[in-house]
Amino acid sequence: MTLRLRLNGRPVQAQADPAMRLSDLLRDVLGLTGTKIGCNAGDCGACTVLLDGRQVCACLVPAARAEGCDIRTVEGLAEGGALNALQAAFLRHGAAQCGICTPGMLMAATDLLARLPTPTEAQVQDALGGVLCRCTGYRKIIDAVLDVAGPSPPVAGAMGARLPKVDGPAKLTGAERFGADALPDEAFLTIRAIRSPHAHARFTLGDFAPLLAAHPGLLRVLTAADLPGARVFGIYPTGKDQPVLADGLVRHRGEPVCALLGDAATLAGIPEGDVPVAWEPLPEVTFAAGGPDLHAHAPGNVLCRGLVARGDPATGFAAAAARADIATATGFVEHAYIEPEAGYARRVGDGMEVVACTQTPYMDRDEIALILGIPPERVRVIPTAVGGGFGGKLDLSIQPLACVAAWLTLRPVRMVYGRGESMAASTKRHPARIAAAAAADAGGRLTAFTFHGDFDTGAYASWGPTVANRVPVHAMGPYAVPHVRCTTAALHTNGPPAGAFRGFGVPQAAIAGEALMDMLAAQLGLDPWDIRRINALGEGSTTATGQMLGAGAALPECLDAIRPRWQALRQEASDFNRQAGVLRRGAGLACMWYGIGNTSMSNPSEMVIGIGADGRCTLFSGAVDIGQGSNTIMVQIAAEALGVPPEALNLVSGDTKTTRDAGKTSASRQSFVSGNAARLAGAALRAEILRRANAGPEAMIMLHDGRISVVSGDAATILDPAAMAPDAEGLVLRGEGRFDPPTTALDAHGQGIPYACYAFAAQAALVEVDTALGTVRVLRIVAAHDVGRAVNPTLVEGQIHGGIAQGLGLALMEEYLPGRTDNLHDYLIPTIGDVPEIETILVERPDPLGPYGAKGVGEPALVATAPAILNAIADAIGARLTRVPATPDRVLAALAR
Amino acid sequence: MSSLSYAAPATVDEAIGLLAGASGLAKVLSGGTDLLVQLRSGRTRPALIVDTKKIPGIIGIREVDGGFVIGAATSGAMIGEHAALAAVYPGVVEATNLIGSTQVQGRASLAGNLCNASPAADSVPAMIAAGATAVIAGPKGRRTVPVEQVVTGPGRTSLARDEFIVEFHLPKRAPRSADAYLRFIPRTEMDIAVVGAGVNVTLDAAGVCTAARVSLGAVAPTALLVADCAAALVGSKLDEHALAKLDLAARDACKPIDDKRGTIDFRIKVAGVLARRAAAIAFERAAARS
Repeated sequence: MTLRLRLNGRPVQAQADPAMRLSDLLRDVLGLTGTKIGCNAGDCGACTVLLDGRQVCACLVPAARAEGCDIRTVEGLAEGGALNALQAAFLRHGAAQCGICTPGMLMAATDLLARLPTPTEAQVQDALGGVLCRCTGYRKIIDAVLDVAGPSPPVAGAMGARLPKVDGPAKLTGAERFGADALPDEAFLTIRAIRSPHAHARFTLGDFAPLLAAHPGLLRVLTAADLPGARVFGIYPTGKDQPVLADGLVRHRGEPVCALLGDAATLAGIPEGDVPVAWEPLPEVTFAAGGPDLHAHAPGNVLCRGLVARGDPATGFAAAAARADIATATGFVEHAYIEPEAGYARRVGDGMEVVACTQTPYMDRDEIALILGIPPERVRVIPTAVGGGFGGKLDLSIQPLACVAAWLTLRPVRMVYGRGESMAASTKRHPARIAAAAAADAGGRLTAFTFHGDFDTGAYASWGPTVANRVPVHAMGPYAVPHVRCTTAALHTNGPPAGAFRGFGVPQAAIAGEALMDMLAAQLGLDPWDIRRINALGEGSTTATGQMLGAGAALPECLDAIRPRWQALRQEASDFNRQAGVLRRGAGLACMWYGIGNTSMSNPSEMVIGIGADGRCTLFSGAVDIGQGSNTIMVQIAAEALGVPPEALNLVSGDTKTTRDAGKTSASRQSFVSGNAARLAGAALRAEILRRANAGPEAMIMLHDGRISVVSGDAATILDPAAMAPDAEGLVLRGEGRFDPPTTALDAHGQGIPYACYAFAAQAALVEVDTALGTVRVLRIVAAHDVGRAVNPTLVEGQIHGGIAQGLGLALMEEYLPGRTDNLHDYLIPTIGDVPEIETILVERPDPLGPYGAKGVGEPALVATAPAILNAIADAIGARLTRVPATPDRVLAALAR
Repeated sequence: MSSLSYAAPATVDEAIGLLAGASGLAKVLSGGTDLLVQLRSGRTRPALIVDTKKIPGIIGIREVDGGFVIGAATSGAMIGEHAALAAVYPGVVEATNLIGSTQVQGRASLAGNLCNASPAADSVPAMIAAGATAVIAGPKGRRTVPVEQVVTGPGRTSLARDEFIVEFHLPKRAPRSADAYLRFIPRTEMDIAVVGAGVNVTLDAAGVCTAARVSLGAVAPTALLVADCAAALVGSKLDEHALAKLDLAARDACKPIDDKRGTIDFRIKVAGVLARRAAAIAFERAAARS
């Protein structure tokens, strides 16, 4: 039908199927991709637009219902090319991290502010409650809406400045291109994977000829037999075990068995049951019961083991005045980034170009090269903006099938996961089954700690070895313990492949360890704060791997900073509990530590900064910004080192052809590792400019009007880039930086220097438990984080808020059940109403190795939250939950015991 | 999708004619918040969609003879913003305003929430407790049925294929009457009820309950009207004895499923707790309306 409507104030006309979603009409027919699609079910709100002034989910509005209506999208917000007041407030407050929910948040807030220009916090929460955000923890979004009329003061300086995100404006206007927004200009094919409904099964593919005959738009069907190169992929060079397309056997629900290639409408219209696949289900290997070996290379289904051993735990336990034991369990947790995996691939000459959302362009490049059977130099990976990653986009998603299809057909091929496919096909947080014990002397000093954790690594290896190696180092928590034995095993099952998820197993371990600290404190009559402070690792402490910590270890400072807040929360809980009733309050404390960068492995970053003949200065950064803000951080650090304001720098980010390898955006490493490379590059360029100007180190560099002024005292030297000879990359002056954190391998007992830098934190939670219903409400979180030096306090706070929201989800509501929770209404993540007020305390004690003292905060933000909440629940109800999430039925069951 | 046709009739008769004459499955489009998802997931593959929104009176709230007539496609947002309705039937309004997010509120309707026939629909127990009736139009004219008789099982209704709901009636209130609805979900918003409880009471001048209706959602294949719960309240001032009887009657009525949102035992316990709490709110509101 022909539709006539007003779009962002202008009349438009379009041809559309009446039942087409308004979101598809806007994106695919009218070309406005600022409206995002996160679920197509009204669960996430990313597609929120205004229809006749009211917020609606565009995915739930049939195109026919838009006839004659006034539609407003994010593209219609900016006024005269400038951000409007709401967009400016979002920018100022750091309310957009990855930016995928931002258009929806902005439109919901626009609806609210049109009716209530000065809303209360509760009204903001109510109006924005239908839009899910996985990055921000919502607090800065609320701040931005409440401060819509506030001023945007100028920001001065580089290091430590609350600089608005350099990629912020694009995220606020709808201009940012995410995986599903990037489209090749040429006609492209779409690919649809056919995935296993069984956890474990043999299968045979039938004759595709009738299907191809029935659907002229179906070009071909890809099977394992079509693969040009490696048939399996995987993170570790020796552990490649995950089939690009399964060959007769599937090991998890959601594993692809073949792929349909054709035009999008044809593929969408083919019922799953028409694809000829004959299944022979096999018994499922589970984490609880085990089963026959799934891989020949993993006898007993043990993928790998980890160990850290020091001293003699038996001696430590024998000498102790108190001993506590615990067994805990956690389930699969879904990353639930609001952007499902998406992108496209096209063959360019004898090479492959991939435009997709990813956290690790260089690893993708090398893996795609193996799958296509070509050298890595012939693969170019161009990351799009990433609509949330959290570790989930460290594994390949759409890339293998899109690349193979593009390679074979010579045509661009696009693949966009739906929400259900994203959840069924992507990796998860490892479920853990932990048994741990700790002991302390009468003064509260820890004497021994033992830990064994089994981790369900699912059907394929993915990042399983990383979890198995990282956990034993961290399992005893950030405490000095003389006698330690920590062991782990990563076990294969027919669950979804468990991979990287913010914390690599450390959050699961901290749930056990921090419970033990409270249990010991209770036995010894100590306050939970005291036992942690007595044992806290600090400068000069020796860790369980035998590493002596340097000046950057600031847990004692974090604990000292949080102490008055902790005492106030304790008091508030006990005051409240004096009244009778079904509501009980409790306060909980937890600490954490986290090694920055890869465990005992080289993980270098390289950065280039240069000036072109036009005088423009550009930072070429291969660090992928997944919303956490590394684009901005790298610019701030490089600008500081070069001695210019951040606005003087342009940024080229991510592309494997135009930037150097800055490693993965994982392990909280970008600020520390790539930040150091950016610092060294900036310093090298500064040195080169000063050398050319024959100026001393105190000289000031100014970039203006295509020229470089070097001012030293009264003397000024002008360098003219236009007069200099450009190199092969078009730069006339350049600085390069490389940093690889100094670590050593761990020996057979896990002794060595696994990380060059650790971040520490203490978090406290106040909760209220409804003892009749079992519901838990988190009322407040206080988070004291050792960040070394906050490169950008706004972004650091944003990381902490977001980590806390995910930790709250882990503690109270999130558990992925394969085949049963493949959407965002059965898989619950925290909404704007679930995340409480958060107070962040940034403890800035510079790390000797960090760039200007900075260290990472991405994963540290999450680790302590769930243990703090669980300790608070135990304080409230006098019963300890040992399985998360602490759902209401489990809380009631714990109360009944 | 090519075989799907769409019609937006201007009258009730035209709509009935389209539904009766459809060659395959015909679906009524009200707010669209359930239908569009089912359509795209392939869970329903209709040949015809009949959009009712152009039918006069299908959207809107009227006060008639001291009661209320609510058009079938009236959105949750309109219901939430109707001050007179919210004063007289606060339970119906609070239940309707729990359906989905603010965005869904702007679209979702009472008729859609009812005819989607989910056991967990939030507005349904509140409407049943309120004594609401549905006016159903068909080729033989209109019939009026109590809301509790519309849904016959998950995804099934008692409507014929050529019938659809045009409006709901909420009866005139006796003095000192009020209702309340509570639901249980694991997070603060945007979730599907694990248990829902609607309570509607009338008190005498002394505060003694003279009439009551209690309905439970998400604890059986359809929302339940529980006579034993009502009997527990009538004649009481909501003392602990009456609450205990109510709690027991609510738990006895439950035939829930065991799923990831809650075990059978948990749902049964929560039904009792919610019935108690909803009754307390309804009594308090009724007393305040003297």
